[in-house]
Amino acid sequence: MASKKAANGTLKLSPILDLNEATSLHGKLMSMRGNNITIDASHVERLGVQCAQVLIAGARAWQADKKTYTVEKSSDAFAKTMQLIGIDTDHLVAKET
Amino acid sequence: MDMNEIKEIFFQECEEQLAELESGLLKLNDGDRDPETVNAVFRAVHSIKGGAGAFGLDDLVAFAHVFETTLDCVRSNRLEPTQDVLKVMLKSADVLADLTNAARDGGCVDEARSRGLVKELEALANGEALVASAEAPKPTPKAAEPVQAAPAPTDESGFQPIPFSFDSFGDDEVAAEYGDTYEISFRPRRELFSKGNEAALLLRDLSRIGEVSINCDLDALPALESMDPEESYFSWKISLKTVKTEDDIRAVFEFAEWDCDLEVKAVEAASQAEELPMVPVPFDLSALDDVPAPAEESEPARAAAESGTAGEDAKMAAAAARVEKKESAAAAAAQTTAAAAAAAAQTTAAAAAAGQTIRVDLDRVDRLINLVGELVINQAMLSQSVIENDTTGTSSINMGLEELQQLTREIQDSVMAIRAQPVKPVFQRMSRIVREVADMVGKSIRLVTEGENTEVDKTVIDKLAEPLTHMIRNAVDHGIETPEKREAAGKDPEGTIKLTAKHRSGRILIELVDDGAGINRERVKQKAIDNDLIAPDANLTDEEIDNLIFAPGFSTADKISDISGRGVGMDVVKRSIQALGGRISISSRPGQGSTFTMSLPLTLAVLDGMVVTVAGQTLVVPLTAIVETLQPEASAIHSFGANQRLISIRNSFCPLVDVGRILNFRSAHANPMEGVALLVESEGGGQRALMVDAIQGQRQVVIKSLEANYTHVPGIAAATILGDGRVALILDVDAVVAASRGHSLKPEMSLAATG
Repeated sequence: MASKKAANGTLKLSPILDLNEATSLHGKLMSMRGNNITIDASHVERLGVQCAQVLIAGARAWQADKKTYTVEKSSDAFAKTMQLIGIDTDHLVAKET
Repeated sequence: MDMNEIKEIFFQECEEQLAELESGLLKLNDGDRDPETVNAVFRAVHSIKGGAGAFGLDDLVAFAHVFETTLDCVRSNRLEPTQDVLKVMLKSADVLADLTNAARDGGCVDEARSRGLVKELEALANGEALVASAEAPKPTPKAAEPVQAAPAPTDESGFQPIPFSFDSFGDDEVAAEYGDTYEISFRPRRELFSKGNEAALLLRDLSRIGEVSINCDLDALPALESMDPEESYFSWKISLKTVKTEDDIRAVFEFAEWDCDLEVKAVEAASQAEELPMVPVPFDLSALDDVPAPAEESEPARAAAESGTAGEDAKMAAAAARVEKKESAAAAAAQTTAAAAAAAAQTTAAAAAAGQTIRVDLDRVDRLINLVGELVINQAMLSQSVIENDTTGTSSINMGLEELQQLTREIQDSVMAIRAQPVKPVFQRMSRIVREVADMVGKSIRLVTEGENTEVDKTVIDKLAEPLTHMIRNAVDHGIETPEKREAAGKDPEGTIKLTAKHRSGRILIELVDDGAGINRERVKQKAIDNDLIAPDANLTDEEIDNLIFAPGFSTADKISDISGRGVGMDVVKRSIQALGGRISISSRPGQGSTFTMSLPLTLAVLDGMVVTVAGQTLVVPLTAIVETLQPEASAIHSFGANQRLISIRNSFCPLVDVGRILNFRSAHANPMEGVALLVESEGGGQRALMVDAIQGQRQVVIKSLEANYTHVPGIAAATILGDGRVALILDVDAVVAASRGHSLKPEMSLAATG
């Protein structure tokens, strides 16, 4: 399903990543499958567990695809929520090589 | 959605919570000791407090807090809910309602009263709590949070919204310097998220009550392509080191516990080290602390913190409150502190079974109802014109039309059902009135309600409250005797007022029964004579005397009290009931009490009627009023007096009323043999035979107000549009019957659209 036209993609996360956003985030990720991806988390103000789930699942999928999946410029809220729910973002980034 | 709208939702929910609270308290009052009832009551107050905190309604929060503290004592079995305790609680519920109203509409509440109650509540809470605090000294000073149960408030209204969860500090080990370590396993279910809760926030709250190390279990997470973004896959293992008790920890999950698998267990200090998760994620307590809210924790505080950040978040607070409401409605038997997992599963099932609801603007519903009304008329017109043009009567069009008619009828019924609401809120308001008035007059009265789930049109409900209030006051003030008198009469010193609602033949019947002294007929009659309402030598039946109390300007009370008896009593009640198309009657047995019976239409929008012809005019007679129809025979008609006639029906005589003459459609008497007699029951209970020229048929008509479009016509309740497009008038049966008794139709005659 991956489109071959671009080798890299950037996904800018919306500020509020709550339950309502999870499905659309999932859809966005699915459409970017197969490309190296950079996730811009600099605008995230609120992150819900459901979106975190999607992001983690994404990370795994990308890892399986052997593509890069990088979280860039994570905002404070993003980093702290990830920490709070017990997910190490470094580890997330580190895992993809 | 702006802040005011959210606030409006909050207040709407407050109303529901207050109703829940009151019914719960009343159940307790009746001896119900189901822990779930206590929990429901507790939750109601808790939710109000939480929401109020989010909107900065400090008075409300302060009072709710004290109330909650006391309730918590009941919940934890530290306080026995005796009658006295419940009396205070019911009063507190009233004050809470007042405070809510004051917060919404401005205005002020009786501060002395609420202050007094705050003291009483505290006394109750402390009375038992003293024991608890004796064995458990104040928590370690290093616990900076306001942990005390009721920290001897210097100013009742200035309190912080302290979560109840810290009230129960009956933990002997709190003195231990570092507290205990708990192993918490938390697995949210999908419902937790769909109800607007957020696991991250729960974790944050948890992190605030102690030192945590959170380990997220990602194993359940499926591959990206096969995952459902809204499903819940994560679960957590949390190791928490805190001075708080297990209950406090569970309290963090209070609003979510139905929707997650939660396990909290204390870990032996020795095994602490090895129990720590392998990958402890270091983190910083200030995470997500966008708002400085150090003293606030748990759900309500969380809501408060969120509302500070953005409207978006406040929406969530409202949503959380709504979730709470739904849960309490589910009322599943689940004890909060019991095996949470099993209980949660049970509750989830119950919650799923409870219907989903939406809030719709009343205007929209009304518009829909109006349109459906037009549809019904249109459908009737259509079928009429088809019938007129189709002589064979067997065409497929006819079949289709019949189906259409059925469908329209169904649509109409469904639309009406939207407006139908249980009478419960009105009844619940009454119990407060009984309490307050009984207190004022020093009587002890119990209100028993029955059939509160009987549904009736919202307009009817709204307009019912006022007359009902009046009647209840009357019953308390005049109906029920003082405890001494009751005892002297050999009755239970506690009076009983029974309020029942039921459906009966397409109408709602509301009965108000008191077991008081009944109507003093001698005095009523004397009073009526004094007030020139009846002639001194009038010979009245008991029933007629009883009904005199509905006469304008009538009051039997010896002295005028604040509560009732200002002479604008029952006649106003009667008029408002009649304005609703209802009837009211009274029956009374001396020494045993009185019964007021109100019969009201279920809806004010449609009516089943008999379409009749009178002197060339088409009239609609409400079907509910008609007992039977008959074709008079010459032998059955008897003349009586100058121009009265009677009809003999099964060996009893019944006055024959010529509708055409009463309404001035014709001046001469119609020949009874050429017409049809409709035997109707009038509000006084008597039967009359209304004479009409012919019966056209029976159909459902949509009521169109005559006043709104034209002006009031005596003897006519409303109008409607028939299938052929003509306007037909709906007969006000009671007015016509009254007119036949010799009173002429007066313009101020009340209406009874469906009477």
